[in-house]
Amino acid sequence: MHKRMFKANEWDGATTSRILQGIGVSPGIAAARVMVLKRQTWRAGWYHLPADHIEKEVERFFQALIAAGKELVQLRERMAEDLADALSIIDSHLLILKDRLLFERTVEIIRQNNVNAEWALAQVLNDIKDRFDRIDDPYIKERYADIRHVADRIFGLLAGRENDPLVKVPGGVIVVANDFSPEDTMRMHAEQVVGFLTEKGGVTSHTAIVARSLNIPAIVGLTHVTGILATGDTVIMDGSSGRVLLQPEPSEIMRFQEDERRQRAMADELNRYIYLASETMDGYTIRLSANIERVEELSSVLRYGSEGVGLFRSEFDYFHNHQPPTEEQLVATYRQLLETMAPHPVTVRTLDVGGDKFLHGFPGTTTWFDQERNPALGLRSIRFSLYERELFKIQLRALLRASAHGRLRILLPLVSALAELRQAKALIQETMDILAAEHMPYAADAELGILVEVPSAVVMADVFAEEVDFFAIGTNDLIQYALAIDRGNQYVAHLYEPFHPAVLRMIKQTVDAGHAHNIPVSLCGEMAGEAMCAAVLLGLGLDELSMRPAVIPRIKRLLRHSNTGQLRDLGERVLHCEDSDDVRKFLATTLPQYYPEEFYQP
Amino acid sequence: MNRRHCTLRVGNERGVHSRVASRLAEIAEEYGVTLQISRAAETVDCSSILDVLAMALIQGSEISLHAEGENAASALSAATAAIIGQDNA
Repeated sequence: MHKRMFKANEWDGATTSRILQGIGVSPGIAAARVMVLKRQTWRAGWYHLPADHIEKEVERFFQALIAAGKELVQLRERMAEDLADALSIIDSHLLILKDRLLFERTVEIIRQNNVNAEWALAQVLNDIKDRFDRIDDPYIKERYADIRHVADRIFGLLAGRENDPLVKVPGGVIVVANDFSPEDTMRMHAEQVVGFLTEKGGVTSHTAIVARSLNIPAIVGLTHVTGILATGDTVIMDGSSGRVLLQPEPSEIMRFQEDERRQRAMADELNRYIYLASETMDGYTIRLSANIERVEELSSVLRYGSEGVGLFRSEFDYFHNHQPPTEEQLVATYRQLLETMAPHPVTVRTLDVGGDKFLHGFPGTTTWFDQERNPALGLRSIRFSLYERELFKIQLRALLRASAHGRLRILLPLVSALAELRQAKALIQETMDILAAEHMPYAADAELGILVEVPSAVVMADVFAEEVDFFAIGTNDLIQYALAIDRGNQYVAHLYEPFHPAVLRMIKQTVDAGHAHNIPVSLCGEMAGEAMCAAVLLGLGLDELSMRPAVIPRIKRLLRHSNTGQLRDLGERVLHCEDSDDVRKFLATTLPQYYPEEFYQP
Repeated sequence: MNRRHCTLRVGNERGVHSRVASRLAEIAEEYGVTLQISRAAETVDCSSILDVLAMALIQGSEISLHAEGENAASALSAATAAIIGQDNA
């Protein structure tokens, strides 16, 4: 969306000398006055100390460390709990502050050389910098900046400053500085800063991460920007392209404001769809549901008008603790999900670990320590659950107990053979019998489905369809397994292709097998949330698309401007394409006949 | 004293970055163990996140972990999870 606003030609209209190019690290566009912050750089002088002053100097250094720790803790307390990234950065700064390498070595230098703390700390920093300078990996190399920020805090306190050094910043400005510490970034957010420009930093700097999580545009790597700009100057910045337009003409600012209005109108336009039915122009209903992994996301599921949860990834409860979750914890999670979404269905995928995920070494499990040679083809998902049966039974029991509180659909991941499905069904039946004997309520009509993501399940879909209540197609894995592509492998990732006709035909085959047995077929994968893919998927006859909550209004708009005849025709014709280029070419000529461009363009 | 060790490869795509390093320091403290990480001839103590970061353990680095203390085994499994896991923050 932002890209659209600064088309190349708009920038070309401005003389190049008025444009600064940096690295855009947090998207968004802002036009505002700037405020240039020149921070004091601490220069550590050298003082020789008489022997009887040494311990006092060490004590002074410790006091500065304690004060720095207090500042960080106070800042942490003031931050909203939901800024997890930001908070974990403060935590890592607290650890750096406590790090032996920093304080033991500084104290050693003070004592050995009879020098002041500032000078000793500066030596330690130089040593650390030397080590980090030798690192090739840019991400880890950049962590030196964090150490520097922590050290600056200590230097400031040693120099006797009382409060945090940041000057008060008025609201509504773009702040310009040599560098910001992540803590500065967080605090300035509270002052409603609309953008950040810095000379230093990189895409993975913590300042960039914080800016992104606060949704404030930021550009780093703008050499000499603190000299070029003066407080009070007006600029337009684009955090996606990394460009800053200096001294914008009034007409340019007006165009910017116009763009901003249009963008807001576009969001408003999409918001209208939240409350409209998800159906085609000719009244055919498709369920648009949400993929989530935390109950905390339920609010956005509701906000974007999702009619159910099409994929709840149940791993979080298993990963955030050292212990496996208790049955009661799981019941609480599932019950909240079901009650919140009722009468809409909630599809819970049973534990999907292994492969790219890793289950902690829980007591009682025996599998955790074996290194698999080929985890994607290893003990994962349903295979893991059938191997670690006790763990699986607890999850099934929790699911069934919660099923009394709404409409539950249990989804078994990575089923590749009928035997796996039957074993799981036997366990579910056994669990139901036990619950019945204990007079525990559960929904006997809770639905059971398989996640179709292995080619064998596609080929055998007609057989599976007789044994389950629904199919969900997991395209992320299906594409990897069907095309034999590891998306995480940089040499082959480009071959990962949702529009590969083999993938499209597999989806179609699964849909047809499901419909021949009167069971609904949904699809949950990144494809579902991309409008151009979604058009094709609707054409292939899916009954439900499950996606990130925020994209639901956009897909609903596309749906509401479609008619089933056109969609079916589209679906028919992509199946005859010979490769993905062919599919794209076909879509490029066909979609404009059906929809305005902004409906399907990313 | 209970000593355990294992060898593994760094799984995180950004390598052992600050959050992973912080987690290792926490694990050492939580389980009351001495936790060390080595690659080739170089060994550092996980209680110093700066030492750990400075090793520049990128994805795929082959390392070994050593834990010493009452809870060496559980500490090692928690540390393994932190290093193999995909936390992309």
